[in-house]
Amino acid sequence: MEDVVIAILRSGTPLVYVTLAGVIAQRAGVWHLGLEGLMITGACATIVGIVLTGSVVFALLVAVLICIAGSVLFWFVVEKLKANQIIAGLGLTGLGLGGTSLAIQSIFGSQAAISAPFGLPRLGAAFGAYGVLSVLVLVMPVVVFLCWVLLCRTRFGLRLAASGEHPFAARSVGVDPSAMRLAALVIGGALCALAGAELAAGSLQIFSQNMTAGRGFMGFAAVIFGAGHPLWATLAALFFAVVGALGIRAQLVFGDRVPHDLLLGLPYIATIFGVWLSARLRGGAKSATGGFGELRDS
Amino acid sequence: MSGQLGAIIRAVVFILLALAACGVIFEFAGYSAFQMFHSIVDGAFLRRNALEHALRWALPLFITATGVVISFRAGYFNIGAQGQFYVGAICAAFVAEWLRGYPGGVVIPLCFAAGMTGGALWALWPGLLRLRSGADEVITTLMGNFLAGLLLVYVTAGPLKDPSGSGQQASSRPLEAAYRISTSNGVSPTIIGIAILVGLAMWWLVNRTAFGVLSGLGGRNPTMVQWQGASTWKIGLASFLISGALAGLAGTIELMGPNGRLAGGFLPAHGFTAVLIALVAGLSITGAAIAAFFFGGLASAALYLPVMAGLPSAAIDIVNASIALFITARSRLVDTLTKAWRRPWKTS
Repeated sequence: MEDVVIAILRSGTPLVYVTLAGVIAQRAGVWHLGLEGLMITGACATIVGIVLTGSVVFALLVAVLICIAGSVLFWFVVEKLKANQIIAGLGLTGLGLGGTSLAIQSIFGSQAAISAPFGLPRLGAAFGAYGVLSVLVLVMPVVVFLCWVLLCRTRFGLRLAASGEHPFAARSVGVDPSAMRLAALVIGGALCALAGAELAAGSLQIFSQNMTAGRGFMGFAAVIFGAGHPLWATLAALFFAVVGALGIRAQLVFGDRVPHDLLLGLPYIATIFGVWLSARLRGGAKSATGGFGELRDS
Repeated sequence: MSGQLGAIIRAVVFILLALAACGVIFEFAGYSAFQMFHSIVDGAFLRRNALEHALRWALPLFITATGVVISFRAGYFNIGAQGQFYVGAICAAFVAEWLRGYPGGVVIPLCFAAGMTGGALWALWPGLLRLRSGADEVITTLMGNFLAGLLLVYVTAGPLKDPSGSGQQASSRPLEAAYRISTSNGVSPTIIGIAILVGLAMWWLVNRTAFGVLSGLGGRNPTMVQWQGASTWKIGLASFLISGALAGLAGTIELMGPNGRLAGGFLPAHGFTAVLIALVAGLSITGAAIAAFFFGGLASAALYLPVMAGLPSAAIDIVNASIALFITARSRLVDTLTKAWRRPWKTS
């Protein structure tokens, strides 16, 4: 039982961080498909930082700063240049995936996986079998709670929601929606860096190309499944993690009778199911409708 | 016509902006931006036989991109071209394997039918989820890409595995030579013919039929199409199926032409590049033909860079991603500049 819970927390924690980043962006009115790119950037920066400097704190700091820089770039393109959020988000993701490949090629001279001598600090013996988990797992409920307070119980959160739902109303009371979106994306960038750091340095201490494998997009789906609410979205992210852990468990139980690669697909299927269910319950998601005329010229 | 000129100038301006951003990234990563761009242009358009190499990548990309144009025009963000491309190739490979030994004149058409059907089916379920339940097709098609990638790995390491293969990456048994529609350089009259046929058919569909008009309207204003008495349901489903079938067709061409076999994770950037081509083209079929050639050149440079110039091919991914970041941007400055080319009495 313990190992299942550990597996769920290990795969769920990065997903929760990246989901929270998506929730904050979504509340401010940004459909953030660049989460995947920021997450892998955070993962790469953390491992490279640890290898080159030997300091976890410094590595985390660099990861957070780079992800914030990426978020500001995304904000500039979406908000100032009025680019389509979905396409620009996919572009940011591509930039993260390609940029990390280029970075490790340039620093280490090959595209092979990099392993760090040590990772994030662990909880330690006081937590028994759970001591193998990193401190970011323990911090995760606190961050979820803080996000809930920030979004649902503060003036800032209300203004953020107003900027997303009705920018005109926000402007009429002196709130600048564009600045609110910048704030939301910067906070989200920092959370994506933590998500990447936990993914790469939380248990494996390895960075390899494309290691996020769609987790950023799953986080985005958790935002939709959780209706943009921090607590529901967190539960949605944990649900995806549970399905993933069950898949790994099923491999041990069924052995070779069920193909390994198909069980790896379970979290993706759960994500599709989540998006479908939330559409059934709350009406369709509206990310793609609207704004299409702008894509076409002539 | 003048509006189109403005649109072209706008696209070029933002592509230049994206390339400037790339240059900054290259410098940061420790490469000389000048050397990088020089090698990319060299690999894409200037070296010997560069045009033939560019055409090899451009033809399948163009076919997939026309499908993306159809679904984007109808207002559906089907970004699952990669998955539909994979599933099409897998279906065609199964048919070719089952019918091993039968004459090529029978097998090749069946493979094409299977590939297009497979691609269409892989677009059908996100289409149904979107049209029946309103499930966001961006997420479902993205997840479909990951699932199709896993399916490809499973198929090449399982049912279709080449028993003689000992390489690190599992691959399927090579196709019989009689079933190949081109050599491994990937340009043959058959493939060029198919691409031209697809281009003409899609141009006709978009510009000369009720479907083209209604789906174009539906992409901008679905309510209006409903008031016209047209079925958004039929138009939507048709655009999903067409875009899936065309991506599946491109997958079949890659399998039976240049590649000759399936390998896990082959051409991982195909779908994303096709989406870019559609957007750079401003969702027009003619534009897609030109843009496909440009991105085909970049794709061939991705192979050229590590071998000939000792530079990482990830540079091409970065160029593509930056273009994606900027291509839908609009800026008042650029609009003002391009206004000079528009006729003053046509202000729209």
